[in-house]
Amino acid sequence: MDLEQLRKTAAEVVARDDVKYLIGWKKGSYGYRVAPVFVEDAAGVAELIFSPLCTANLTTYLTLVEKTPLPRGQEADKRKVALMVKGCDSRAVVQLLVEKGIHREEVIVIGCPCPGVVDQSLLVEKYGDTEEPVEVKWNGDGFMLVRGGEEIKIPRDEVLAEKCRLCRYPNPVISDHLIGAEVEKWSPAEDSGVSELDAKDVDGRWEYWEEQFNKCIRCYSCRNVCPLCYCQDCILDRLNPTWINRAVNFSENTAFNISRAFHLAGRCIECGECERVCPANIPLGKINRKMAREVREKYGFEPGLDPEAEPFQASFKPDDPEDFIL
Amino acid sequence: MSAMLLNKEKWPEFVKKLTGKNLWAPKLDGEAMRFAPVAEGEEVSLDYGNTRVPPKGATFPQTETMYRFLVGNMEIEEPKMDEELVLLGVRPCDARAMKIIEKLFRWDYDDPYYLKRRELVTLVGLACTEPGLNCFCSSVGGAPDSSEGLDLLIYDLGDRFLLEAVTVKGETLIAETKELLTDSDASAVKAKDKLMADAGAKIRRTVDHDGIPEGLPGLWEDPLWKSVSASCIGCGTCTYLCPTCHCFDIQDEVEGFEGRRCRMWDSCMFEEYTLHTSGHNTRPTRRERTRNRINHKYNYFVDKFDVIACVGCGRCINLCPVNIDIVEILRRVKEAL
Amino acid sequence: MTADNPYIPYFATIEDNWYETGGDRCIKTFKVVFDDPAVRDSWSHKPGQCAMIGVLGEGESMISISCSPTEGKFLRFSVMKMGKVTQALHKLETGDKITVRGPYGNSFPVDDWQGKKILTIGGGIGQAPLRPIVEYVKANREKYAGLTMIYGARSSGDLCFKGEFDEMSKCDDLSCHLTIDIEEEDWSHNVGFVPQMLLDLNPAPENTVAVTCGPPIMIRFVLENLKKLGFSDEQIYTTLENRMKCGIGKCGRCNAGGMYVCKDGPVFSYAVLKDIPEAFA
Repeated sequence: MDLEQLRKTAAEVVARDDVKYLIGWKKGSYGYRVAPVFVEDAAGVAELIFSPLCTANLTTYLTLVEKTPLPRGQEADKRKVALMVKGCDSRAVVQLLVEKGIHREEVIVIGCPCPGVVDQSLLVEKYGDTEEPVEVKWNGDGFMLVRGGEEIKIPRDEVLAEKCRLCRYPNPVISDHLIGAEVEKWSPAEDSGVSELDAKDVDGRWEYWEEQFNKCIRCYSCRNVCPLCYCQDCILDRLNPTWINRAVNFSENTAFNISRAFHLAGRCIECGECERVCPANIPLGKINRKMAREVREKYGFEPGLDPEAEPFQASFKPDDPEDFIL
Repeated sequence: MSAMLLNKEKWPEFVKKLTGKNLWAPKLDGEAMRFAPVAEGEEVSLDYGNTRVPPKGATFPQTETMYRFLVGNMEIEEPKMDEELVLLGVRPCDARAMKIIEKLFRWDYDDPYYLKRRELVTLVGLACTEPGLNCFCSSVGGAPDSSEGLDLLIYDLGDRFLLEAVTVKGETLIAETKELLTDSDASAVKAKDKLMADAGAKIRRTVDHDGIPEGLPGLWEDPLWKSVSASCIGCGTCTYLCPTCHCFDIQDEVEGFEGRRCRMWDSCMFEEYTLHTSGHNTRPTRRERTRNRINHKYNYFVDKFDVIACVGCGRCINLCPVNIDIVEILRRVKEAL
Repeated sequence: MTADNPYIPYFATIEDNWYETGGDRCIKTFKVVFDDPAVRDSWSHKPGQCAMIGVLGEGESMISISCSPTEGKFLRFSVMKMGKVTQALHKLETGDKITVRGPYGNSFPVDDWQGKKILTIGGGIGQAPLRPIVEYVKANREKYAGLTMIYGARSSGDLCFKGEFDEMSKCDDLSCHLTIDIEEEDWSHNVGFVPQMLLDLNPAPENTVAVTCGPPIMIRFVLENLKKLGFSDEQIYTTLENRMKCGIGKCGRCNAGGMYVCKDGPVFSYAVLKDIPEAFA
């Protein structure tokens, strides 16, 4: 990764009058942690990094902005937002464009071709957690952990995030500035997690998800971190009518998790953020990848690739083989 | 209060005795530990850091039925609460948190649900020997061996456990298991003291809160709030996993004709939390919500109850999806004073 | 509200109900009487206090008690149709039952105000918590040096308690000044905003307490204008509302800064309020 090019490009971008800020990654407060950062001026670009620890999909911040009523006479800040994206993240940008959740002129996409990021929990499990600042780098086919002056080579498969093993789009599918050269695609692994579940019968699957959804504490981190869960008025928050009770139990938790999965069918771009942030360790990726697989195999559609595409669930063709819709 | 020794060989038997009551202990659930019921004969290992979700649900369940009714029928039925519960392996920070929020649940109006559950629960603590990465209990009035809120405290001395009763409930447990126990001796006390001094020294993160409670009001409009909350995604992880966070919602839920009025954990980090029906929101952005979370713990609660409503368990740091780090926030608050 | 469980409500029956205003967000007043005679006798509230009223199966809402205890052994609530609970309340008619717990919060210090002139400045539904003061003073006229009421709304149709104003103008020590935002036919009172009307009336601050409640923007300008008229912070009172669930200082959501509006409030003097962050958020 060419940090110098990244910071130079970032400095040029944030210097523009029509740019509000740039959203990127920086070193977190300790250990392996990486935190999102909002860079507003050239001084801030020195903090920017791009490393195998940059797992978070920053696209969510495009729609997380809270718009408070403006004081009379004050105009809305219409400057652009610049955003660092990996391959998977860039698909969220495209999907948002398709859905008109954002408009092209509102964003500047800084694409970072990505050889795959690490799963921090695997890293912690295998190499221990630490409060000391450490570095993880791409190193040939694998990773390199630099800790207290010591360099530890880590084989790729040992700590590679699951979403990266399955990744079909390591290079940004949309970008205004590309940092470094595109990476060579690798052949995605078979999604054994989903296949194993598919192989179970209905009762087996139900039992599996019952156990998982029972763990849900309804913190909504999956919803909030999801770049494509951006309804202003989420059915979860609605009380009048109440679609999903606030009581935390299997029935309501299931209603919540399944509603979210359905709302993401044909929209989820498989960035894996929901699963990464879940404090209850629910394998949410499996649900969303299952839906994505169905849409891909049954409809030949993949979201987040073509900004001109029709939204999958919101388009109608007169020659639709199903006549129920008319 | 008595102190007794339990040889580790007798631990399974000790656990088995406790399963005669409604016993909960930390169990591995996927990757994380969480408190779960222990069946008779089931093993309990005390070799763990801390549970992912704090045991606050034992006294403050995520969903609590306050009373039941039949729709159209003006009668209210209060749930029976009489089942005793023993929590085994509670970390001192979490027990301390229960004691801290008890002050709120006793403030002017006694909260019958919390207080009844508090009365029914026996907390068997486990002193910390290997503090977690983000533990900072000793900075906020706690310690790896704080007995506040606990009924009995267990120290792991290697080949044996030292059990110290803290309350009458703890004494009762000791009395009920006394055939498994032997009297404590000077060497055990010495070993314990050494163990705890070592544990204290292993705590890596610190918070210097001196001046923060008094100073926070003056920082109300400080730019730091915008900066520390910029990356917040507004989820409830920090508050739901916090052992002292105690805010709740009350909702009526009806199935068929059977209704109940219940309360459930709520989070001040949710946009909907302070949203008036008119659409007006008194805390319109995550900046105000983050400011409220810190102020509540380090200023409002201190003002009202004379204790910081943060026990330094580090959960909010460990699990924040975007690395919002309360130690870091407090460092910046201190800097801005 | 049993002795050991403050969350258990009493039942009360709607004895009378009527619409104060029309429209989508109409306001309906309910006059309710507790079912249990013992509760009826033991209940006591002060002007400014609130109660948690609800419909089983729908939920509870904190509503200010809009009657003075001097009016009799009943309670009045004026409820704007807004969310789930208030919509459910609006469906109720005379004879139906609601749940009530309370009274909650502090109150207007009407005893401390004895001997003083009272000035109430209300806007829209904000008159509901002020009405108990008006009624209290009317019932204890010998104890107060008079009452001036300023009350405004967007239109005459948006004014609550309309039938109660005429008798006030017949008394020397009571005066009632109504205003609406926009000119209307057959409207014989003032046209203009409440804060401006306050300035025009130019009440003297000497031996007077001013109490205001209404939309946040109105309160802000009223406070500004009271200061212009020479009122000290200690002479000005208002009552806040925030989202509430428990009403007894536990659930955590109604705080404005370190103050729980349900317990430390809802009534605050401006002397206290001006130092509470979030009070005007």
